[in-house]
Amino acid sequence: MNSPGLRFVGAALIMLLGIWAGSRLYWVRNAQYHRGVPVPAGQASVPDPRDASPDAPGSAVPHAVVPDLLPAFALSDLSGKPTSVSTWNGKSLVINFWATWCAPCRREMPLLETLASEWADRGIVVVGVAVDYPDKVKEFAGRFNIDYPLLVGEQDALDVAAKLGMNSPAFPFTVFADRSGEIVALFVGELHRPQADLILSVVQNLNQNRIQLPEAKQTIARGLAKLAEQASG
Amino acid sequence: MRGVASNETDFLPPDVAFRVGGTIVGNTVEVRWVIADGYYLYRQKIEVTAESPDLIVAAAQLPAGVIKTDPYLGTQEIYTQQVEAVVPFTRFDAGAHPIQIKVTYQGCAEAGLCYPPITKVIFPGAGAAAAAQAAPSVPHPWEGIAILGGGLAFLLSGLVLRKGRKLDSPAA
Repeated sequence: MNSPGLRFVGAALIMLLGIWAGSRLYWVRNAQYHRGVPVPAGQASVPDPRDASPDAPGSAVPHAVVPDLLPAFALSDLSGKPTSVSTWNGKSLVINFWATWCAPCRREMPLLETLASEWADRGIVVVGVAVDYPDKVKEFAGRFNIDYPLLVGEQDALDVAAKLGMNSPAFPFTVFADRSGEIVALFVGELHRPQADLILSVVQNLNQNRIQLPEAKQTIARGLAKLAEQASG
Repeated sequence: MRGVASNETDFLPPDVAFRVGGTIVGNTVEVRWVIADGYYLYRQKIEVTAESPDLIVAAAQLPAGVIKTDPYLGTQEIYTQQVEAVVPFTRFDAGAHPIQIKVTYQGCAEAGLCYPPITKVIFPGAGAAAAAQAAPSVPHPWEGIAILGGGLAFLLSGLVLRKGRKLDSPAA
């Protein structure tokens, strides 16, 4: 280090090293403030895993795992009285889950009213389960004169939906069970007359022992697929 | 076939039907939803709030939507395909926290299915133009460390040079 040239080079190296270390620290630390994916205007950023809810699907759509038998549950009726699903033991059930803020739920109510009266003498009962605030449901039911039995709940109704395999439910959805409590079909979305007629006629055949459960399910699945095809075509 | 006859796969899960992301552009966050064909979002149900503790956001600026008339819900403004909310923000800690925005939105499928309101926290990324402009203008705490490192290096190098001079002097 006695040569002035060497001393100068050494000092310059230390200085450069210090500047490099400082700037490196800055950029590494600063990178954390630019998380996310920059995108040009007019495009959405690609989904960030941190943005997704725990059950968010990746490439596959998660299927509801629907139990074979209706689970036991009780929810309040509009007067606040706990009502068990066993009230309708021996009947076939059409359990329709809905909410007052849901337009398609409201649209299908006249059909549910019609089905309730048309099928009453053949042992089929329509039950509405409102996943909503009881006050809102009571007001709504009064305004629209809903005649079929209504149950209501918030988290407890969501728990029932989860028992039926709908963990993150969208509304409406309708569960069809035969008179022995076997779940025959799950219909997601607004129910229309052709779908309702198809499912209920199969449930009726099942109740009268004209067909067996596996065949009933297959008939409904094929029929629903055909109706969906006709609707999209 | 699965245990129960079902049409559930006719519909998309909510995170596929409505994809949300955000971009920082200057002092605004652009929150963008890409909406699948056959699905829509309600304008009235979109809310954007600050999630980071150092962030204040103004009301989201939303474009006019399409009017949808429903016999039961009345007239509603909806968005299809894509919508972007521009959200001006102010920060008061010089960027010590990452920007986090809470978004709430609700929508339906035209085929007759409605999803409950969805709330998510998003981490908007910097836009390309914004990053180029914003980085030099925002003082960052780690800039001080960079300067300190440079200063320390300057002092050390001075010491080395001075030490060399002292050693040289007896020989002079």
